[in-house]
Amino acid sequence: MATVFYDKAAVNVSFGDINETLLASNCSINLASPSQPMYAIGNKGPLGQFPAGARAGDMSFGFITSITGVYNAQKGNIINFLASGIKNSSNSEASGVQIKCAGITGYGFLNSYSFSVASNSVSTSSASFTFFGSGVQLPVSGFLYGETNETPSQTGLLATGVVHGRYTSLTPLRTTIASPTETANVFGADYSLSMAHSPVYKLGQEFPLTTFYTTAQESINVTEDIFDNALAFDETPKDVTLELKGLGNIGHGGMLIGVSGAKQQGTSMTAGLDDIIRTQKSLTAVY
Amino acid sequence: MLGRIRREAEKLTINGTGIQGVQSMSAQYNSVGGSPLRNLGIDDIKYLPEGPQTARLEVDTLLTYVLPSGLDLGPSLDPMQNFTGDLPFSGVIDYGSKQLYFTDAYLETYGVSCGVGEIPHSVTTSVIYGDFGTGSFPAWAQASATDPSLNITSYNSMEINLDEFKTNRVSSFSVEVATPRVPIYTVGLDIPTGVIAGTPIEVNVNFNLEVDDYEIKNMRFVPDETTFRNTTITLNKNNSSTPLLQYSFDNMLLTSESFSAGQDSNAGVNFNLRTFILR
Repeated sequence: MATVFYDKAAVNVSFGDINETLLASNCSINLASPSQPMYAIGNKGPLGQFPAGARAGDMSFGFITSITGVYNAQKGNIINFLASGIKNSSNSEASGVQIKCAGITGYGFLNSYSFSVASNSVSTSSASFTFFGSGVQLPVSGFLYGETNETPSQTGLLATGVVHGRYTSLTPLRTTIASPTETANVFGADYSLSMAHSPVYKLGQEFPLTTFYTTAQESINVTEDIFDNALAFDETPKDVTLELKGLGNIGHGGMLIGVSGAKQQGTSMTAGLDDIIRTQKSLTAVY
Repeated sequence: MLGRIRREAEKLTINGTGIQGVQSMSAQYNSVGGSPLRNLGIDDIKYLPEGPQTARLEVDTLLTYVLPSGLDLGPSLDPMQNFTGDLPFSGVIDYGSKQLYFTDAYLETYGVSCGVGEIPHSVTTSVIYGDFGTGSFPAWAQASATDPSLNITSYNSMEINLDEFKTNRVSSFSVEVATPRVPIYTVGLDIPTGVIAGTPIEVNVNFNLEVDDYEIKNMRFVPDETTFRNTTITLNKNNSSTPLLQYSFDNMLLTSESFSAGQDSNAGVNFNLRTFILR
């Protein structure tokens, strides 16, 4: 029976010999087989609909930002590990990862990753993958079925290892100005990373021979309370390392996100009723 | 043996001042950590905090006791009215041999009401942004108390200044002051870095009249006949014309009127006046 309740639909990501089940709150999978009609002189109707490209799919999911794993001696989750690895990779040829939800499996390339941190709130993340398929491997396979949980634990526990705005200070993102001397309070930050992949197709084969990682761009939008009007024509790039912490990480290291050569590209302020004026600045880094 | 704690073993102290005439008080919090984490493929129950942790304090006090005159403890002799501004207060509730502490409480609503046959009393609700409960707190023993003598004893110790009251009898009134608070939270902290005293402050004054010649307005009186009133309610010292507390508001807008009649009661009118005060 294909009726699957959410408790049997965990999102699992695996790469090589590592895999992690994420605390996903939603997940969607799409598979497309593009086709286009062909017309010819002498025929009123179409000759038919013909494939316009290789079958491809995508998958996106939102999840609670967790710091439960350790990858390459760095705390974090597997998505953050993949994002860090891809954007800093020296090898252009990319390798996908296997993603599974409720029996549907795809072999995907991370094309976007984002998270947000706000005061007194649980941090949430999202990720999306593109499924190109490979060789004779279909982009998406499997059928819907509910995956049996491990023995459910009914014990009340604190959710340690979940990134929380209460324990994350984002100190490196604070704006400081010299006159008057002030340091901003940071109310929250939104981070996003988008990556481009280029599949290489050859004649005689539907799915790509290989896939290359090409470029990546990441941005951080910070909400604080200082408006820095001294934005330069050519801002000096700077390296920023964010450390996300949660319950259980107090006094210990959290998940690190290194942003290299980030340039501030904008600053703004918003005023609304019954609130203080909040300012935003956006930092952008490219790879 | 099961014991119990009665009113004689309970007391409320705010900023070192013992509050007397308390009729009821309640203090409560709801833990923000009470929601379980839910995710696709959920296989265990785990809790985590979501949202800022606050608590609430409600106090209902007779206005028989006020602050001693001559002490510079605030603009009003009612200790609670002095917290309608931007200052927080801390305190302790003693019950038996136990104490319940709270810090950084901000008044959100302040109300005074009285009716025929009643003693004037104030009702306040406060939100607590600091700490609440037990823990390591300074020993806030009562350093002083409100004036132990009975100052305002009943509904005949007051004066109301409004035109209608010359020929119509007031059976009850209430003054309600809402003082908005805007806490500012940053990442990395679970207490606000500041609490802004919001503006404007909304003031509602309600009167119940037993009418003689009171005339209810046409409900389409706005804007051509918009009615503004100045209102002053003065609570005097017992058996004296010495004013102790005064609630005075100018240019209050008439916002509602209601008429009621019954076979066993006199015709009555209830009307509401409202104003907004900028800080």
